[in-house]
Amino acid sequence: MSESVTAVEEESSENVLGRVFNAEANRYQMGFLAVAFLGLITVPMWNPGWTYVFAFANIWVIFAVSWDIISGHTNYISFGHSFLSGLAAYTTALLTFNVDPNMSIYITFPVSVAVAVVAGLAFALPSLRLSGPYFSLLTFVSVLIATKAVYIFSGYTNGEMGISTVSVLTFDNTEMFYLTLVPALLIAAILLYISRSNVGLVLKAIGQNERAVESAGLDTTRFKLWGFIYSAIPMGVGGALLAHFFGNVEPIAFLIVDRSIEMIAIAAVGGMGTILGPVGGAYLLIFLRDELFRAFLGPNARWVALWSVVLILLVTSPDGLFTRFWRLLDRLGGGGSE
Amino acid sequence: MVDVLTILVTGAMISSVYALIAIGFSLIYGVRGVINLSHGALIMIGAFGYLIINGVAPEWVAFIGAIAVAGLASLVLYLGLVRYTEHDVVITFLATVVVALIVQQLLTLQFSLAPRSLSPLVPGGIPVAGTRVRVYQIVAFVLSWVALGLLYLFVRRTKLGRSILATSMSEKGAKLNGVNVLYVNAATWLVAGAFAGFAGVFLGSLQSTSPTMWVNALGLAFIIVTIGGVGSIKGTIIAAYLIGFLETLTVSFVGAEWRGMFALLLLIGIIIARPQGLFGREFIE
Repeated sequence: MSESVTAVEEESSENVLGRVFNAEANRYQMGFLAVAFLGLITVPMWNPGWTYVFAFANIWVIFAVSWDIISGHTNYISFGHSFLSGLAAYTTALLTFNVDPNMSIYITFPVSVAVAVVAGLAFALPSLRLSGPYFSLLTFVSVLIATKAVYIFSGYTNGEMGISTVSVLTFDNTEMFYLTLVPALLIAAILLYISRSNVGLVLKAIGQNERAVESAGLDTTRFKLWGFIYSAIPMGVGGALLAHFFGNVEPIAFLIVDRSIEMIAIAAVGGMGTILGPVGGAYLLIFLRDELFRAFLGPNARWVALWSVVLILLVTSPDGLFTRFWRLLDRLGGGGSE
Repeated sequence: MVDVLTILVTGAMISSVYALIAIGFSLIYGVRGVINLSHGALIMIGAFGYLIINGVAPEWVAFIGAIAVAGLASLVLYLGLVRYTEHDVVITFLATVVVALIVQQLLTLQFSLAPRSLSPLVPGGIPVAGTRVRVYQIVAFVLSWVALGLLYLFVRRTKLGRSILATSMSEKGAKLNGVNVLYVNAATWLVAGAFAGFAGVFLGSLQSTSPTMWVNALGLAFIIVTIGGVGSIKGTIIAAYLIGFLETLTVSFVGAEWRGMFALLLLIGIIIARPQGLFGREFIE
């Protein structure tokens, strides 16, 4: 055991990605990541028609990995992450709509993220007391309250139609793709690093057996609070980014509980607790929904197809597609670490 | 000036429907420890089942048909899906909510998102103490209590009901006493689904019937069961009346668009102060 630990430590300086799965990534796994990365950053070159959908998927990468760092790791399943991103988006929108239409993005963006963090901490507080389904219920309810509030205060939020005073970042699809890709990859990389650090390990241990973690003398409250902050900051970034992506903030695309469930579905299909899995899951599901199914089934039937695919994947590979694929590559390389 | 009697009558009517909404959810949660997030979808299936059957048959046939359809849908859901996933809480959670979304999208394809109104089970209205009450509201109230009474007798007096109770206390113990657990589970899901269909018909008539109604119905069921205490029939009924009257008061004094808001806030208060609900688990203790 100690031998392998030192081996990993020696490797780590030259092979950071090797630590990604607590084992050295073999050449197939490295190759796969390299090809996926190159394929991703060149999307506008090899298929310009997909640029817009992939730009949108970039934002969903942010949502999915942010959900994953807390819920995928600790098993506190949040049904309310669209509350965090929606709140950030609405903060941006409300500031431009009700305060000053020309307010700089350099002001609205940080304020929106700060609001999301406050909301994330509000989520964290009950999780310190409540376990399992009750936490999920509370987060679910928070989305319902927020959605209701949008309609109740439609004088400020413009209700169902939404607020369209938010400036769109750019109308050039390629520019938009890179403007969303860079934060998405950056956030994914940071969260991947956290996930593989000791903090991530403790968060995962909380998901396995919270009492055991406490018995080991670790302050689970502190770790959970940090977990929620790690999740809420990128949720705020993603929400504000989505507001500037559409230019129009309304409840359906930003807030309703369906969006939260989509985040969960993406993370679960990719592989909960792996960060890289949700990244792949976001591109897969958004591509299926907005490109493939839309082309073949039309704007309405695609949802049925999407959720059916998600259901089948949930039942047949509960560990996630990415996790499965990664193990396959591991075996190909002759590894038997799993 | 809002009449006290009106509030009492309306509150009692809506509360009795809320009790129906929550009881099936409570049953599955209490007996199986499974949180069935497609419960709202089963309620919706009841409402749309009534709408569809009512197109070709009289109301009472549609009513029975809706209960049967929702019960069968629940049974199929258990035998075809939940049976295989129930050992994994997280996957069951996600799978059932995805089922709800599939139902929502299928209904949207067929009926569009626009809300529809159901033709009432019994038409007409009668004056009760100065307020005009629609007859089907009274029917809903009476049938709700009859059904809840029958459920109570079923669980306490019949062999199958008692094996459901026994399984909820200890699955191992029930097995040792010759209870066929799969059969008991299937029966629980069938009964819970039938109650969902029952609730759906009345919820659909009292409020609106649309492909997104499952979210609120599920929220209500979850809230009532949590406030009342998991697995407690008594707690579920009391919580249903609490929420029902709270909503009626909200609509009368604050405004219809605030419907549900205070219930959600009450839930947050109770869930933080007393997570096990007002009444503990009578199925367990």
